[in-house]
Amino acid sequence: MQRLPVTPRADWRAHVERDLGFAFHTIDGSAYWDETACYRLTSAEVDAIEAATGELEQMALALVDRVVQTGEQDLERLHIPRVAWEAIAASWHSQEKNLYGRFDLAYRGEGPPKLLEYNADTPTALFEAAVVQWDWLQATSPERDQFNSIHERLIEAWANFGIGAKRVDFAAVRNHAEDIGTIEYLRDTAIQAKLETARIAIEDIGWDGQSFRDLDDRPIDVLFKLYPWEWLVGEEFGQHLLSGAAQVIEPAWKMVLSNKAALALLWEMAPDHPNLLPAFLEPGHIAGNVVRKPIYSREGANIQVLDSGRVVAETDGGYGAEGFVYQAHVEMPAFDGNYPVIGSWVIASRPSGIGIREDTTPITRDTSRFVPHFFE
Amino acid sequence: MKKSRSVRLVLLGSASAALAACDNGGALPTNAQFYPTVNECIADLDAATCADAKAVADRTQAVEAPRFGQKEQCEQEFGVGNCETRQAAGSSFFMPMMMGYMMGNMMGGGRFSQPVYRGPNSTAVMPSGGRLLNVGRFDTLGAGRAAFRPAAQITPVSRGGFGSTAMNYRAAGG
Repeated sequence: MQRLPVTPRADWRAHVERDLGFAFHTIDGSAYWDETACYRLTSAEVDAIEAATGELEQMALALVDRVVQTGEQDLERLHIPRVAWEAIAASWHSQEKNLYGRFDLAYRGEGPPKLLEYNADTPTALFEAAVVQWDWLQATSPERDQFNSIHERLIEAWANFGIGAKRVDFAAVRNHAEDIGTIEYLRDTAIQAKLETARIAIEDIGWDGQSFRDLDDRPIDVLFKLYPWEWLVGEEFGQHLLSGAAQVIEPAWKMVLSNKAALALLWEMAPDHPNLLPAFLEPGHIAGNVVRKPIYSREGANIQVLDSGRVVAETDGGYGAEGFVYQAHVEMPAFDGNYPVIGSWVIASRPSGIGIREDTTPITRDTSRFVPHFFE
Repeated sequence: MKKSRSVRLVLLGSASAALAACDNGGALPTNAQFYPTVNECIADLDAATCADAKAVADRTQAVEAPRFGQKEQCEQEFGVGNCETRQAAGSSFFMPMMMGYMMGNMMGGGRFSQPVYRGPNSTAVMPSGGRLLNVGRFDTLGAGRAAFRPAAQITPVSRGGFGSTAMNYRAAGG
């Protein structure tokens, strides 16, 4: 694995905006899409990532099964609200399908890739990985390969979802360009799978006493929500979602995996697995540096790196009320002062490609940049 | 090869900019009334007015209703069992079945009459301003009969029951 400086395409901004509809390449004045560099991986490295991702997904699914079987005891350790327990079990027993997830891996090209966390419920950086880096490679060196069949797999997954003639409503928070870009891309792939789709702001979803309604008062039967389950269940209409008034994507059982306490349960289920880092729900089990992460958090917020209990690095944010998980610290690979994290995608539980985000600090935040890759 | 053979966008990008525009159409005048046939109308209004309005709605369906080459295409939009076959100029096609007509007074004077079709999920839809407006529901009464329930009599839709948590944070995705 190498980081190579490359010359950006002269007109890339105009091109990605016009031809790809990529609106959030620059966020708050800073570059997010960054083609001044790229990562070169070897075929063996891609194979290692793909194999690790497949194995991690199988372990994650086994964990959901275990938690659903164990019930109360595990669900409480995961801090999943009691109101959601029945819906989680029901969605798992009825084998509700899932669309996608992103494993964030620490990997330097040697040794096994290590799971930092699993974004099982509301992963983003999807369009960048599936389309923008593919387009970059086609424009700059089309003869090269990339670990990225995300686009094809998404269309295939939608076609196999069993949705039929029902409309899928894609919901995200109003006025968040990156989230809206993500659901618009997912809609694009659903349309290509011959599904009827619409877009709605999560705030605009209506309830008429029996069913969810869009702004034209049409019933919402299938809801794709780029909005965390743990938020939904705590809000006014959450009970209706839990009582099954609509099919939800991702399904309710993803709640088991979308919180970071799952990292500790994974370690408990498969201790010493080469792709896992030791993780516990209580401090004091890990010798050496420890990373403390809130059970519910996003985009690298409220992370502490602890050396024998002393804080050596920290990020701010508004998370942490539900408690923390303690994960062994792994030295992040650094390339010219940049710390890449490999976002490894599963589409319908199949490893389907990667997107690399890097930051100038070892904790990947919402200030990170997306850097394309190829392999040979 | 581990990369997609092709990546085509239909919604995003240049090919699709025109799809973004969409308005909410016109609202239904509050005095509008649904009649399944002229007979129900005559109870409220004189026979000539009722028959004229029915004729206007019939013509609108014949001329403006969406046409589909295949029954399945029509049913995908309007729901299974809600389409009928028609013939014109020697070819046959499918269009939504007319369940009755909606008539009333327009704001600023004049009378309007529009066909009402059965849409997906028991909805009642009416053409308005180039699109189909949801005007109510057809509740099934058995033996193939259906009762129209205007949108105003359906439990009002409440909104804003999702999204409050997001205000405390920067992003919902990650």
